Amino acid sequence: MKLHVKIQRTDDQTDQFEVDYGPDMTVLNVLEEIYRHHDSSIAYRYSCRTGLCTTCMMLINGKPDLSCQKTAEPGEDGYLTLSPLPKGKTIKDLVKEY
Amino acid sequence: MLQLKTIDTDVLVIGSGAAGLSAAAYAAQQQKNVLVLDKGAVGRSGSSVGAVQIAGLGDWSHEDDGIDSYLNDINESGRGLSDPELTQTLAEEIDVSLNHLIEWGLKLDKNENKEVAVSHTSGHSLPRSISAKKGKTGLGILHALRRKATKDENIHTWSDVITLELVKSSERVVGAIVFDLTDNHLYFIQSKATILATGGAGQLYPTTSNPVQSTSDGFSLGLGAGATLVDMEQVQFYPVSMVAPHSIAGFCISFYHYSKLYNNLGERFMEKYAPNTLEDATRDKLSIAIATEIAEGRGTENGGLLLDAQEEIEQVKKEFPHEHKLCRDRGVDLNTGRAEIGPAAHFMMGGVKINKEAESEVPGLFVAGETSGGLHGGNRLGNNALSECIVFGARAGLNGAKLAEEADVPQVDPSVLEKTEAQFKQILSSAEGEYRPYELKERIQSILGVHAGVLRNNDGLLKAQNKLEEVQKQFNQVKITNTAYYSREVLDYIEAGHMIRTAQAIVGSAAARKESRGAHYNTDYPEQESSLQHTLVNFSDNQINIRTAPVKGGL
Repeated sequence: MKLHVKIQRTDDQTDQFEVDYGPDMTVLNVLEEIYRHHDSSIAYRYSCRTGLCTTCMMLINGKPDLSCQKTAEPGEDGYLTLSPLPKGKTIKDLVKEY
Repeated sequence: MLQLKTIDTDVLVIGSGAAGLSAAAYAAQQQKNVLVLDKGAVGRSGSSVGAVQIAGLGDWSHEDDGIDSYLNDINESGRGLSDPELTQTLAEEIDVSLNHLIEWGLKLDKNENKEVAVSHTSGHSLPRSISAKKGKTGLGILHALRRKATKDENIHTWSDVITLELVKSSERVVGAIVFDLTDNHLYFIQSKATILATGGAGQLYPTTSNPVQSTSDGFSLGLGAGATLVDMEQVQFYPVSMVAPHSIAGFCISFYHYSKLYNNLGERFMEKYAPNTLEDATRDKLSIAIATEIAEGRGTENGGLLLDAQEEIEQVKKEFPHEHKLCRDRGVDLNTGRAEIGPAAHFMMGGVKINKEAESEVPGLFVAGETSGGLHGGNRLGNNALSECIVFGARAGLNGAKLAEEADVPQVDPSVLEKTEAQFKQILSSAEGEYRPYELKERIQSILGVHAGVLRNNDGLLKAQNKLEEVQKQFNQVKITNTAYYSREVLDYIEAGHMIRTAQAIVGSAAARKESRGAHYNTDYPEQESSLQHTLVNFSDNQINIRTAPVKGGL
């Protein structure tokens, strides 16, 4: 199964990926797949993988959510759309400054 | 020509979990300038985040509890390998350290009678586990420490910066060379005292409860600086962790004492291994039982066993709401079904050898928390990880500040820094190699998972040593395709370098321990020997050296 993913990398650049996926994958699992097999420059932050540290928070299909907890699913437009949280400084791609 | 910038500080703290931030808080109180580094987000990227409870003593303690009783439980659990100087310090100082945290804003969970809620944990003879934030105790402690760090103008924090190596001059640690992922620059941090608090090594294994940052950096940095590692074969596996689905593999289930465990024949197998305690056994015994069932072919398709908590589900929901909900969110409904569980790498009991002042054998270098070794011996008691962090974090901070007061730091020979800088630049130009850094990490994980997991044997450990040597050679053919700022590949590469050195220490120590003791179970030597030995690791001339030494005052 393929999942179509859009990632907002800067204000002017959004990249698209077509990722192999299974139904139990989280958004974080999809990002790991992209890092390994599609684009080694993709930047995202995570730590505990259990919904506690909250460092993997991002906008998922427009809503703030934890990428380690959220099941990867396309939004209404057929794409899983990821972008950094609007508040605070973005270091790169989906990574916020701490 | 040296290009890296130099930053000066009195006390450098590497790592910002409960140990690192405690060290920073105590050092700053002594009016020392403190710099805290984390390779992820400061105060949010270590194993402390996931700690459920903390054991200790206080005015809330059970009437029969006290220093002697706590000490006795820790020493008994350590299987003879716990350092009495360290266990004594923990038992004597835990109440003071906890009270400081409470002064700094930690709020303990209360029971129905508005008293501090104290609960029982396997291995402790009396109930002495307390919590904050309804079982998110590590988070509660980190919140209190982060607030403290933000308020204290002596503390400076720096996220997204990873340490390449510690720097020495005149046989003393004088700082560290670090790489800031956000600006892609190397820095030399010159410090009067350096505190390692980088947490554990769970990421050396394919399935772990640890965060992605637990890549054993501190053990490798300590070795590189000439410190000794003690009992590195003592890797605690959390016996009951999720095996499936993949997205929560490694997630710890704390309520196994409220559950029944079954193999694929439907047998409640703990009746065979521990008829008295059943599932409420210590972690080492439970891990060995579970791993044996799986190894002998009585596991599920996913290589796990089955946990059934239906009979006590109301208690589980009440005491462990986060775990219950997370399982449900990932499709595992414990109200009506069973979970697939197995052991996951959880805690490194071994580590850098320290004394009760948290000093390593190398002047200028202190170590606290999971990165230090010797306190827990062969089996850490449940909920003693945070206790260790706050007690020895305090000691490291206070003693680091004291040293900074006295110290006159020798100058560093610039050629030492130049050499590291040149090597690092060369790595960044390795776009033509064969192996991606994450692949090197996966190879290390796979080798340790197969040969140095819960069950070990002589043949497997020898194979692991040979395979790790092969991986070491593959570092020369690394391929780094992205060298722009905030590169996960560069981070993976640096981490893989720390991992291979620590992996060799673990496997070498496991091969040197010719018995089964604590978390180290070698099926070729299933019994405990009568003579009590520590395994010790040093690193010199690019070689790992392993030896054993009798335990002082041992049997």
